[in-house]
Amino acid sequence: MSAGRRVAMLSLAALLAGGCAAGTAGLDVRYPEAGVNRAMLGTVAPRAVEIVPVVDRRVDPTRIGTSPKTGQDIVTARPVTEVVREALALELAKNGHALVAGRRDVALAASVEEFWLDTVVGHSTTQYVGKIAVALAVTDGRTGDAVLARRYIGIKRRATETDSAGEDAERKVMDAALARVMHDLATDPELVRALAAVPATRP
Amino acid sequence: MSRASAVLLVLAVVLVSGCASSAPPPPSRPAARPFETVRRVAVVVSGDSRFSVVEHSAEPGRTFDELMKWNSALAVFRPIADLLHRGINWLLALDRTSDTEPEAEAVSPRAVVADAFARTLQASTEFDEIRVVEREPFGDDRRRLDAIIRLTVPAWGLVRVREGEPDLISGFADVRAQLVVRSTGVVLWEAGEDVTDPERLPLASFTGDKQFTRHHLVEVLERAGQRLANELVYARSAGR
Repeated sequence: MSAGRRVAMLSLAALLAGGCAAGTAGLDVRYPEAGVNRAMLGTVAPRAVEIVPVVDRRVDPTRIGTSPKTGQDIVTARPVTEVVREALALELAKNGHALVAGRRDVALAASVEEFWLDTVVGHSTTQYVGKIAVALAVTDGRTGDAVLARRYIGIKRRATETDSAGEDAERKVMDAALARVMHDLATDPELVRALAAVPATRP
Repeated sequence: MSRASAVLLVLAVVLVSGCASSAPPPPSRPAARPFETVRRVAVVVSGDSRFSVVEHSAEPGRTFDELMKWNSALAVFRPIADLLHRGINWLLALDRTSDTEPEAEAVSPRAVVADAFARTLQASTEFDEIRVVEREPFGDDRRRLDAIIRLTVPAWGLVRVREGEPDLISGFADVRAQLVVRSTGVVLWEAGEDVTDPERLPLASFTGDKQFTRHHLVEVLERAGQRLANELVYARSAGR
């Protein structure tokens, strides 16, 4: 075998041994843009909204659960603060509000209080319960006055056949929990009133 | 490059692409088209509601149901039967003694869910009229409606949500609804929601305090009504 061919064979062997390690780096939890609707938040005239950096207030910020099969930590592919910030941005933009980083009408401060996946393995079914809790503080962008404080909790429970349980089911459960948080937020009359109460400075 | 190297390269590319994470599937879209013109609705509640205690046991065939039947150590569960809705339950069949008969103020899951659902829709101000009825309206009552929302609560009860010492239990309610245009019968929206209470508690919290258990179950039923209503409001302008 030539040296070149040996190198190629070794490379292939390393690739096979490594398997799909990159794919198990964490759950790619996200709020799918295709499912975002213009809802009640869109009934308010457009506001310039700044989402201040989302804070992680979880008791255990290192993981979102434990795999019952392996005992290993379950983690997200991206920081949960980034996942929540992206979801908030999508929801606000779809509802016609401008996302800004300066001259703002409203500031939204979100903190992630819980982002957790529980797994109960049964004989034939595996049950997942994903829970995401987000606290949201709304302040007047010009005066800094607190306008509203709310907490949104999204929980998704799903039982799947144990044979087909795995990362895909875990991700879907967390995606659904996140979507529930965002839908509750987007249809919250209190939040709509709070946004409407803050005057728009932009034309 | 030799033929063998080329084959190896192609194989490597195929393997790498196979590892790429697939894009998440698009979420289910409950509404095919917006229904913002629907302003007057009646909420018709119907169907059976089954109370159950869901465990997802690791032992084959050993569900809570069976454990309750055969294991006297779990007889402490019987007070839960007090909460059961009239006429629905397998639990009541276990032991019709005085302590398992439903109390006068037994929880009516459909009524609690429907009330919370209607209140949430009302608070949204997206509808002009929302009425909860127990049977299909007819005559003038029906003609004045834009749509009818049919709501069911197929299952509710307690579910084990976390394994441990002790296991943690939450209340749950599975609810479904369908919005149908009165004049055409076209289904504009339908959804099912699995709702679980945010609080997780040891079993002893439920078995030791009937009042608390009742309160917890009512709360999760209310939450189910609100959740379903939020999804309906969220879907109103889908596709815009």
